[in-house]
Amino acid sequence: MAAPLHHVIIGSGSAGFGAAKTLREGDPDCRITMFTMDGIPFYHRYELPEIFRGRTDWRDLLAVPPSFYDEHRINLRRRCRVVDVDGAAHTVSLAHQETVPFDSLLVAAGGRAYLPENLTGQADLIHGFGSFEAAMKVYRDLPKGGSVIMIGGDMIGIDLLLTLLSTGYSVTLIVNAQTFWPHELSAGERAPLLDVLRNKGVRVIENARPVGISARNAGAPARQVALDDGTEVGGDVVMAFCGLASSVEFMLRADVDIERGLLVTPELRTTNEAIWAAGDVCQIWHDGDKAYKFYHGWKNVRVMGELAARNIQGAHEPFDVDVEDSIWVGEDGEIHSTFWTRET
Amino acid sequence: MNKAGTDIQFAICGSAGDGTIAAGDIMKRAAAAMGFHVIAFDVYPPEIRGFGKCISRIRVSSEQAYSLKEQTDVFVSLNDGHAIPHVGEVRDCGAVIYDDHLIAPVPEGGHISAHVRPAQIPYGLPIRQVSEQATNSARSRNIVVLGYVAGLLDMPPEPFHKVVNQKFATKPPAVAEANIKAFDAGFEVGRKVFRLDDVEVGSAPEADRGEAVMMTGNGAIARGFLEAGIQSYFGYPITPATSIMERLAVELPKAGGRFLQTEDEISAISATIGAGFAGSRAATATSGPGLALMTEMLGLGVMAEVPAVIVCSQRGGPSTGLPTKTEQSDLNLAVFGGSGDAPRIVIAPTNVEGCYRCAGMAFEIAEAFQVPVILLIDLYLSNRYETVFPSGRNVFAPKPRQAPERREGEEYKRFALTESHISPRALPGDPDMMYTATGLEHNELGKPGDVLHMKMNAKRHEKLKPATRYPGLTTCKRFGAEGKVDVGILGWGSTFGEILEAMFEAQEEGISCSAMKVVMLSPLPEEELRAFFDDCEVVLVPELNYQGQFANLVSGALGRPVVRLDRTCATPMAVADILAEVRRLASDVNEPAHAAAGGGA
Ligand SMILES: Cc1cc2nc3c(=O)[nH]c(=O)nc-3n(C[C@H](O)[C@H](O)[C@H](O)COP(=O)(O)OP(=O)(O)OC[C@H]3O[C@@H](n4cnc5c(N)ncnc54)[C@H](O)[C@@H]3O)c2cc1C
Repeated sequence: MAAPLHHVIIGSGSAGFGAAKTLREGDPDCRITMFTMDGIPFYHRYELPEIFRGRTDWRDLLAVPPSFYDEHRINLRRRCRVVDVDGAAHTVSLAHQETVPFDSLLVAAGGRAYLPENLTGQADLIHGFGSFEAAMKVYRDLPKGGSVIMIGGDMIGIDLLLTLLSTGYSVTLIVNAQTFWPHELSAGERAPLLDVLRNKGVRVIENARPVGISARNAGAPARQVALDDGTEVGGDVVMAFCGLASSVEFMLRADVDIERGLLVTPELRTTNEAIWAAGDVCQIWHDGDKAYKFYHGWKNVRVMGELAARNIQGAHEPFDVDVEDSIWVGEDGEIHSTFWTRET
Repeated sequence: MNKAGTDIQFAICGSAGDGTIAAGDIMKRAAAAMGFHVIAFDVYPPEIRGFGKCISRIRVSSEQAYSLKEQTDVFVSLNDGHAIPHVGEVRDCGAVIYDDHLIAPVPEGGHISAHVRPAQIPYGLPIRQVSEQATNSARSRNIVVLGYVAGLLDMPPEPFHKVVNQKFATKPPAVAEANIKAFDAGFEVGRKVFRLDDVEVGSAPEADRGEAVMMTGNGAIARGFLEAGIQSYFGYPITPATSIMERLAVELPKAGGRFLQTEDEISAISATIGAGFAGSRAATATSGPGLALMTEMLGLGVMAEVPAVIVCSQRGGPSTGLPTKTEQSDLNLAVFGGSGDAPRIVIAPTNVEGCYRCAGMAFEIAEAFQVPVILLIDLYLSNRYETVFPSGRNVFAPKPRQAPERREGEEYKRFALTESHISPRALPGDPDMMYTATGLEHNELGKPGDVLHMKMNAKRHEKLKPATRYPGLTTCKRFGAEGKVDVGILGWGSTFGEILEAMFEAQEEGISCSAMKVVMLSPLPEEELRAFFDDCEVVLVPELNYQGQFANLVSGALGRPVVRLDRTCATPMAVADILAEVRRLASDVNEPAHAAAGGGA
């Protein structure tokens, strides 16, 4: 009897999880291994701001209970960092020196917060928010009623910003080109949205670029951000929400094409026959636009994960779901976005 | 079952040479120094081979615990090959700690992270690197990981520093310094980790019983012997009893006593009986195979009415059997072994403190009843560490001897038939009280002859009966509910810890039950046992042997039925197994129809 196929997935976010579940539904006998750097099983990252509403126990955030993985025979390998993919030998290498062979590989490694180049030297003074642990660190480091300096303010950040306001914190927003990302807005389109934030008490700084961050340990504020107009802003925590950079650094030997993300066909296959990609990590060929495009947001991403799994198992379905992309100020005076439409 | 407050079980698993047992030792001593109750048990590879798997399991609790838990809260791997089969023992939301920077490539599944279940919490750190950076050597990996655990769980570093310094006190100061550095380096890494587990170290209970001392069962026996003024020890090494001998080899000469390693077990007991005959507080220690060799001389001790103390630490048998695994299968040998009717006193402590107290009293009892006393323990108790609170003053010191008085004109009758069945015992050198002591049946003077065989047999048996009420010795004790109960659990030796844990859990579930430990196995405290049986609808006897040796002993003596739970699994009895049986019996008691229909599960 032939050995069951071994499907390896890098990433346990929406794309990776959806793929694993679909692979199991399509083949009860295959082996499924999912590597992730996360410490906890799959949860919806968009729920992380809920931590500020008291959901600080990670068990309350899980999309499915841990037993799901055992029941579906999905070998979930947490805290395992993939450092190399050998596209010819069909192996994945892990930081701890384990090598794992695969029949098919799905890369669903997502992206990490993009940091403007002039701030990369001060990354250790900037709080992240991309994982449960990072979000909890913000929650713990921020004194009750404290203040956040938010650089950029993509839709992920704006969601957190609104939660912070409603839970008693104050926010300074330093606007840049990525404010309201992934919505691509002109300055005119952005203005009413920023007004909503101002009306809510956000200190909005336009037309000035952060050029340096320093720690002030002797008394509050704990962080000071220098702007290129010569002024300084103080706060307890500095966060940057400037969109995402795809996590592709471990794919350099994988024999696949990479631009900013992994380039894939509409069926989500890379240039290597055995390797597929889904989620925030990939750019999908758009025949109409004759370009590789990112499709961010969990709804796109989940569909991609499931689709990639079906195609790995022999289907030939193209990705054609591009969910509506709009942002507006509603009659209630609040900001609304298709990006924030949540699973009920 | 988890106790209120702190109740954490640590397990450290590695290969011989990784410092696994040393790390466990530091952890248990530091926890005891913090004021916690500690029970710990190390599993070694067979000593003879010198390599293989080592696991140190340590339960740290703010309330007294009676056995190790089945599930571990914090598990450390120093060798994934050995640790992988044990990851399953970690509870949900418990921590699995390992090296995530191996120096050699491993194939798929060769790293422990492949085996951590989704409900467990993985913590990887570059253990070797941290050790090398802190000490220029990878040798302190075990100490690095100990520091990591302490940092992760927010335990104070000072007690660990103190124990590390004590542990390496006999080595050049640089050794302790390097290990402190390794500990601190691990501590810093652990302190910064974002924790996802739910293991909580609370504050230690207020110390109200004086300073706790960590001891193994064997260490407790050696200490009890020394406090009781042991004068002679003769032994031949055998796992798991050897460490008693090793300790006494060092301590006994310092205390003015004599220590001799003999050529075999037969010599050891011969010398022990000889010394006992001469009035010396004498002991030997062995395991089942050694006791089997000793039985002939044991019979001489019984016949000649010589006080002596023999420790038997049981291991898996028969023959060489399972030298490094625990079992309770030498009960028959200890109680009945030998030729003829050879009654002796057999005492089986149930925990480390019991080992200390029984050893402390064993000589006095042997002298009072003029008979060999066997202290019957097992590997699990021999090697298990517990916090013990020794009494500040020595309560076991020998009392001044009263030489027998000889009536004028009467011949000295060493074996006089008296009302108490105890005869006046002279020692060699007591004036005008020479007598013959042999293995032959004898008359009151000790002269060989068969005329009094029946009376002398009765004397040798009857004189032991009051031993069950010997002042200061707990020969049996009931725990849990008083009065009538549905299920009684009757136990002996090390298994009683698991029995107590199971009983407490059953009580929490609302099952009417109580437990009785029997420490004196020969003679049996029959009156108390009868009362216990009268109170229990059904009596369960869990023990680690195939034949149900204790169940046979008790039901034979009392003529009452028992339900047996016999296991020879080479490990201590699982609390879950006892609990399952208690649940089944309780439901049978309450739903007899269900039982009659063959229901059970
Ligand atoms: C705070 C927050 C709020 C958000 N809110 C919204 C929202 O309102 N609406 C919306 O549509 N989207 C939202 N998003 C974005 C959405 O969550 C992402 O689009 C989605 O999570 C992307 O899914 P993914 O599976 O592609 O990657 P991710 O969810 O980013 O998962 C990537 C996975 O890859 C693993 N990984 C990466 N590199 C490696 C490696 N080298 N080795 C092993 N594993 C690796 C990671 O550990 C992780 O498990 C939000 C995101 C965040 C962080």
